[in-house]
Amino acid sequence: MPEAVVEFQQVVFCYDRTEVLHNISFALHKGEIVGLLGPNGAGKSTTIKLITGILVPTSGTIAVAGLPLPEEAIDVKQIIGYVPETAVLFDSLTGQEFLELCGRLHNVPEDTLQTRIRDILATFGLTSDRVARLDAYSKGMRQKILIAAALLHNPDIILLDEPLSGLDVNAAILIKDLLAALAAAGKTILYSSHVLDVVERVCNRVLIIHQGALIADGSAEELKASTHEATLEDVFRNLTGSAGLDTGVSRIVEALRS
Amino acid sequence: MNVYWVALQHRLRDSTLLNAIGEAVRRWLRGPAVSRLLRRFGIDPHRYWLLIDLFAELTERREMLGHLGRDGVSLNMVSAVYFLLTTFLAGVQVLVASPVHTYYAVFLGLTAFLLFTVLLSETSNSLVNPVEALVLAHQPIGGATYTAAKLTHLLRVLGYMVTAVNLLPALAGLLLPGARWSYPLFHFFSAWVLGLVIALFCCAFFGLLIRFVPARRLKTIGQVAEASPLLLIIVAGQFRRILKALKVPTGLPADPATLRAIAIAFGLVAVLSVVYGLRALSGDYLVRVSAIMRGPSHAPARPPRRTPLAAAIARLAGGHSGAQPARAGFEYVRRMMFRDWQFRRQMIPMIPAAVMPLLAMFGGSRATPFGGRFTPVHLLPHALGAMLFLVCSILAHGSDYKGAWIFLTVPGSTFHGFVRGVYALLWTETILIPNLIALGFLAWFWGPADALLFVAFSLAIASVYLALELRLVEGVPFGKPVDTSRGMILMPLMMAGGLVIAIMVALQHFLLFHSRPLVLAVTLLAAAAAWLLTRTSLDTFEVSIRYHLGLVSQESTTLYQEING
Repeated sequence: MPEAVVEFQQVVFCYDRTEVLHNISFALHKGEIVGLLGPNGAGKSTTIKLITGILVPTSGTIAVAGLPLPEEAIDVKQIIGYVPETAVLFDSLTGQEFLELCGRLHNVPEDTLQTRIRDILATFGLTSDRVARLDAYSKGMRQKILIAAALLHNPDIILLDEPLSGLDVNAAILIKDLLAALAAAGKTILYSSHVLDVVERVCNRVLIIHQGALIADGSAEELKASTHEATLEDVFRNLTGSAGLDTGVSRIVEALRS
Repeated sequence: MNVYWVALQHRLRDSTLLNAIGEAVRRWLRGPAVSRLLRRFGIDPHRYWLLIDLFAELTERREMLGHLGRDGVSLNMVSAVYFLLTTFLAGVQVLVASPVHTYYAVFLGLTAFLLFTVLLSETSNSLVNPVEALVLAHQPIGGATYTAAKLTHLLRVLGYMVTAVNLLPALAGLLLPGARWSYPLFHFFSAWVLGLVIALFCCAFFGLLIRFVPARRLKTIGQVAEASPLLLIIVAGQFRRILKALKVPTGLPADPATLRAIAIAFGLVAVLSVVYGLRALSGDYLVRVSAIMRGPSHAPARPPRRTPLAAAIARLAGGHSGAQPARAGFEYVRRMMFRDWQFRRQMIPMIPAAVMPLLAMFGGSRATPFGGRFTPVHLLPHALGAMLFLVCSILAHGSDYKGAWIFLTVPGSTFHGFVRGVYALLWTETILIPNLIALGFLAWFWGPADALLFVAFSLAIASVYLALELRLVEGVPFGKPVDTSRGMILMPLMMAGGLVIAIMVALQHFLLFHSRPLVLAVTLLAAAAAWLLTRTSLDTFEVSIRYHLGLVSQESTTLYQEING
């Protein structure tokens, strides 16, 4: 087993008095792409924010690259690239300027930074749009800028919260290939998403969080075998207790008729 | 102060009698009589009250703080400040026994000026910053209904401001010689009428702008419009001179019939402007909202410019290890200062105020301050200090404040270089460049020695100002929503600052500039003080950024509590 890059041990997190993560323990290893699944409000984004050092756990320990959080958050942030779920950007800046800001804040040398920005933007097909302000960008273009910003400082750990949101088919394929290449280069990737078939195809391992508890940890094949289900979607429905339940669709149709 | 206000309001709300009165008024407002009236103006009463409740709920949750009229605490504070100011002014006028008509004119003029400055900004903020409108644009809400709900809070501002500025002066007017018993009623009533006319005018003015100005230009035009009261003050002084230069007769015609005709024509134009302005607002406002919001998208794309000088300055400020973060701070703030809508909105109205002392300074720059005669050039370092005060007090606020999350993902050590980059930008662009420009002129008029000594003095004093005022930047630049009440409180603070500047200039003229060695000694002292103060202020700035980011990271917690609550 390769070395553990991220380690959660008995982590509890409370928003005020509401416990939203209950005794979560897992490890992410070097070169892995790990899918993080769970229904809305399960605690996925909170888990990611804990790894970035943005939030501090109520109890338990978190170590990133052997560095304890929150004590070593400064060094940890240097090796993490984070793509948040909602893309709020400084709209007055151009794509190029925003990436320069992010790279410089991570202390990337200027020559290296310019080369990386040029190459990444060219790969994402944004070279001609780099001089336009971000408020003129489409949702997909903004998402590409966010992903580029997360990669500029060459982080060892990449945390992605719904990274394919708003991307067209070609761009989504590009990102999936990019993730595979980055993992092959030794990067650790945590991929949070609701799109289960993408997670099934991209990730080596899957973590499922439900109501703040980690209820599954294994490869997609292992999870399917242990639950006797055919697809990851069925595994998910089975484990989160939504299988066989009334989805409420008929109630909505009835309500609309009334 | 806020806490006491809130406590008092809660206590008043708990009062049973007040509750009953409030409920009765509420029922009447939402009853059939008012609904009929609203319908007559094309306003759907049901949706109108839904929107009013929605805006109230969002304000209660501190989601909509950019509007003074919706933020009760800020409105109370601003009103309290103006109440104190006008109480002082009324007291002085009563003591010197001003004639009644002068007293009346002063307060009506003051009411008009303050209402113009506040209501223009409020109307612009409501109509040219239509974030909520974009969310609601696809809902079946009429333009008239939406606009009416948005502008209702203007009446609230009016109620607070007119009362704060005029209540006590109206009563105090009774103490003036020759004042009738009915003076307070007359004073207060006319202030209210004036306020309503100004509010209608502001709405109509923006209605006409929306009607005739291309949507993508509307934000910029709105910003310029907000500066119009101060611009008018400057222009009014020169207007007669300009007319004379153009050989246009400046005297009013003596013939009463001509005067009456002119008055009727003006009145007609004013009424038509208001009517058509209001109609333009209520027409297709929600349809245009998207274009207004997306205005900056039409900003021309410019090829990226290399900025080697900025890079060199930032490298110098940040040192070897902090050069890149310092450059990030330098470039980020430089670009945002020119582009951020909220920042520009707050700065543009101040341009006329900054232009006046500059014109005065350059008008009187031929006389050297070492010659014994007073020269307005004495103002230079203090004018720069005043400008920096404004910049520093609003620098932490911006339109895209939610983008500040990006700073959460960077190592904390970055901010050491980042704040130095921001400082380097402010010092270079606001202190160094103006002083270097001044040096060119002054050396021509006074000779190089005097000019150099004065500019060194000016650099040192302005640097002390910057070192002190840097502490006003509370958090990541452009990382917080705009706080309207802060802008209102700045005005009296700036008045007090003006007094301090006057004292400083007097000290310079009467005590300091009689001896060149003394000026040199004070310059060296000020430079040393600036150096020491800057070091501590930069540390404070860094801490305030970390503290602000700590609050940003807790924002999700607040939301969670709120939803649970």
